Amino acid sequence: MKTSLLFWGALAVFLGAALASDYENEEEERIIVDNKCKCAKVTSRFVPSKDNPQENVLERNIRIIVPLKSKQNITDPTSPLRTTFVYRMSELCKQCEPMEVELTDRIVTAEPSNNCTSTDACYTYDRNKCYTTTFPFLYGGEIKTVRAALTPASCYAD
Amino acid sequence: MTFLVFIFLLFFLQAESARISRSSPIFGPRQVTGLEGGSVTVKCFYPRSNVNRHDRKYWCKESTRQCATVISSNGYTAQDFVGRATITDYPEEGIFIVKISKLGGKDAGFYKCGIGLNERGLSFKVKLDVSQGSKVPEEAELYYVELEGSVTMSCTFDEIYASERKYLCKMGKNGCFTVVDSYRNVNLTYQGRVLLSNQQTPGSFSIYMTQLKKEDSGLYLCGVGQYGEKGESKELDVHVYEETDVPQGRHVINGVIGGSVSVECHYNRQRNYSIKYWCKWRKNSCTQLISNTVGTMSAQHEGRLVMHDDPKNGTFTILMNQLKAEDAGYYWCMTDDDTERKSAKELRIIDGQPALTGPKDIEANVGTKVTLPCSYPCKYYSYQKYWCKWSNTGCKSLLSHEQNQTGLVVDCNTENRIVYLTFDEVRNTDQGWYWCGVSHSGHYGETMAVYLRVKGDVVFRSETSEDAAIPSTGSENNPQNRGAVLDDSSLPSSQESNSSKVLLSVLLPIGAVCLLLATVFVVVKFRLLKRTELVSVGSYRTNISMSEFENPREFGAKDNAIINEAQETQLGGVDEYITTSGNSEGAEEPPKMKRGSKEEVDVAYTTFLLQANKVTQDKA
Repeated sequence: MKTSLLFWGALAVFLGAALASDYENEEEERIIVDNKCKCAKVTSRFVPSKDNPQENVLERNIRIIVPLKSKQNITDPTSPLRTTFVYRMSELCKQCEPMEVELTDRIVTAEPSNNCTSTDACYTYDRNKCYTTTFPFLYGGEIKTVRAALTPASCYAD
Repeated sequence: MTFLVFIFLLFFLQAESARISRSSPIFGPRQVTGLEGGSVTVKCFYPRSNVNRHDRKYWCKESTRQCATVISSNGYTAQDFVGRATITDYPEEGIFIVKISKLGGKDAGFYKCGIGLNERGLSFKVKLDVSQGSKVPEEAELYYVELEGSVTMSCTFDEIYASERKYLCKMGKNGCFTVVDSYRNVNLTYQGRVLLSNQQTPGSFSIYMTQLKKEDSGLYLCGVGQYGEKGESKELDVHVYEETDVPQGRHVINGVIGGSVSVECHYNRQRNYSIKYWCKWRKNSCTQLISNTVGTMSAQHEGRLVMHDDPKNGTFTILMNQLKAEDAGYYWCMTDDDTERKSAKELRIIDGQPALTGPKDIEANVGTKVTLPCSYPCKYYSYQKYWCKWSNTGCKSLLSHEQNQTGLVVDCNTENRIVYLTFDEVRNTDQGWYWCGVSHSGHYGETMAVYLRVKGDVVFRSETSEDAAIPSTGSENNPQNRGAVLDDSSLPSSQESNSSKVLLSVLLPIGAVCLLLATVFVVVKFRLLKRTELVSVGSYRTNISMSEFENPREFGAKDNAIINEAQETQLGGVDEYITTSGNSEGAEEPPKMKRGSKEEVDVAYTTFLLQANKVTQDKA
C-alpha cells in the first residue's frame, strides 16, 4: 500500500513540475476527462518538442488528487479510511451523462458509453448530490435513529 | 515514507490550485487597487447552482503555505480584519461582495475569493494593491457569462471620436487581435456571433456577443481608433462559466435548395417577453424576419416563414421553406430580455432533395373543386401530417385527409403516402399560400409551401349556372367547406379534437349507428381476445366513423402511449371523413369516400376490436 502511495506522490511531483514550467500556454489546453468521482482530470495541449523546438507535440497530463482522508464508503463515516486508490483509464474516460445526438432529422438522447450501470465507488462527494447517514440518538431515555446530512450545503431543497 | 509522500503531494497541490483558479467557475477582478486608508470592494461571481448558493463563501489571504481565511460567510473574521472587513452574499444573483476598509500597506498581496471549505478548486485569485497616490487606476469591467449564453458590452467614449473606427479586440500572446470593428471586419472565430452597433450618443457603441464558448474567456479591449496607435480603449474581462443543464439545441441546421428547415429556439418560460423574434445576422445588424407580434414581412419571405410559439415548453419554432442558396448564413433567435441567452444558428445549404413533394403552384378557376396533394416519404409515416393556410401571423390549420382505402397497412412502400387538401369549390379569398407539413411528438418538422392561384370572375354568383348555385348555398351552411378550419386538431400543440357543434350534430347519429354495430360484436370480441392483438396492428390508421367511442376511451388509454398515438392519427382521419360526408349533404359526395357496406362493417369491426382490447387492458 505504501509503495502505491509513493508512486502517486512521485507522479504528483512530476506533473507539478510539468505544470509550473509552462504557465502561459494553458489557454490552449483541452480537458479530455474531468472525473469528479475519482478526482482525476486528463488534459492535453501542444507544446514545443524538446528534440525539435520548431515542432509542436501533444502532451497529455493526468492529474489526480488523492483524498487520503476519505472513508472506504463515503456515505458511511464510521467505515475505515480508504487505503487503496485504483485508477483505470478506461473507467475514467467513460461518459455516462446522457447527451443529445442528431440522427439525420431527429435529436435523440443517448449515453455515449456502455456499462454505465457499474457502481464503482467514488473517492469523494459530488457537490451536486446530497449525502446522508443515520445515527442512533439518545433522547429522553429513548434511542432514535436520526438521519443526518453529510454534505449540508448540497442538501437544501430549492 | 508517508511523510515523503505528504511533502510531494503538498508540492503538487500548490501547483494544482494555482492552475485551477483560471479554469474554475468562480470569477472576479484579477486586480483591485485601493488607496491607503481607503477601502476596496471585490465582487466575486459564482454559478447559481443550488449547492453554490448555500455553501460557505470565503475571502482568504495567500501566503507561501496556505490561504488563511480573512472572512467567511459562516461568521468568521480574522483578528487583523475585525471591524474592517465584510462579506455579503447575494445568492439570487450569484455574487458575493467583499469589502475591506482602512487599508494599510501590509494588506497588499494575493487573495482568493471562493466557495467551499477549502481553497482548492472553486476559487479565484485576486491581487490587491494598496496605492499611496490619490488616484486609482480604472479597473477592467467584468462580464460573467454562461456557456452558450450571450453578453452585451457597452463602451462609452468621448463625442470627438464619433467618426473614428470603433473596435473590440481580444488580448492574446501577440497583442490584441480584432474581433469586430465598425469597418465590418469580423474575426473568423466570431463569425455570426458578434454585432457592433452605435449607441444614440455619438462615440458610444455596444457590442453584442452570443453563443459564448469556453475559449472566449479572457481580456478584451474595446476602443476607438487603432489599438496601440491612437484613440482610447477600455478593458473588458469576460469569463464564460458552465451552468448545469440548459438545453442547447443544435447550432448548425442543414437545408436543401427548395426544401425547408425547422429551428427550435429556447427561452426561459418563467419570464414574460413582449417580443420574440428571428433575425438574420448581417455583420453590423440583425434584420428581423419574423416576430411573435403582428408585423409586416418582407416580400421575399412572403409565404416562407412561420413562427410557432410554445410557452409551455419555453420554445418557439421557426419554420422556413422554399430555401434558396442565399438563405445560407447565421440567424438569431431573439427575445427582448438582455440577460437571456440569444442563440445563433447557422443555416447551411447542402445538396439533396426535399422529402415532401407535390406541385408547388396550382391554378384553379373559381367555383371548381381543387385538390392540393402533398406526398411524403416513408420516414414520415408515423409522423402527423397537416395542411395549413399561411398568413404573416401564423399558419392556420386546415382539415386534410389521406387517401388510404386499404385500411390494413403493413408495408409503407405500398401506400399512397399523400396528404390532400380539398376545396369543394374554391373562392377568390382562398388564393394564397398553403403549407403541408409534418410534426412528431410536439416538434415541427419539414414543410412544403404551395401557392394556390384562383382565376375567374370576382363575383361568384354572377355565374348563373344552376349547378353552381346549389353548392354555393351548401357552402354557406357548412363552414367546413371552406378549407375546413378545425382548431388545430392536426397540430401537435392541441392534442384534443374539439370539433364544432355542427360537426357534433353530424357525428351523433353516425356514432349511434356505430354503437349498434359495436354491440353486435361484443360477444365475438371476448372470444377472440388473442386475435385482437394482431388485428389492431393491422387496423392502425384506419378511417372509420367511430369517434363517439374514441373520445371517452382516450382517457382510459392515456397510460398506453403507443395506442394513444395510434388513436390520435385515427381521430384526424375520422374527423375528415365525417366532415366530407357532412358536406355531401348539399353537394355531390366525393367518390373516394364511398365504401361498400361490407367493407364498412369490416372496418368498424377492426376499430371496435382495437377499442375493446384497450378496455380489457385497462381493466387488467
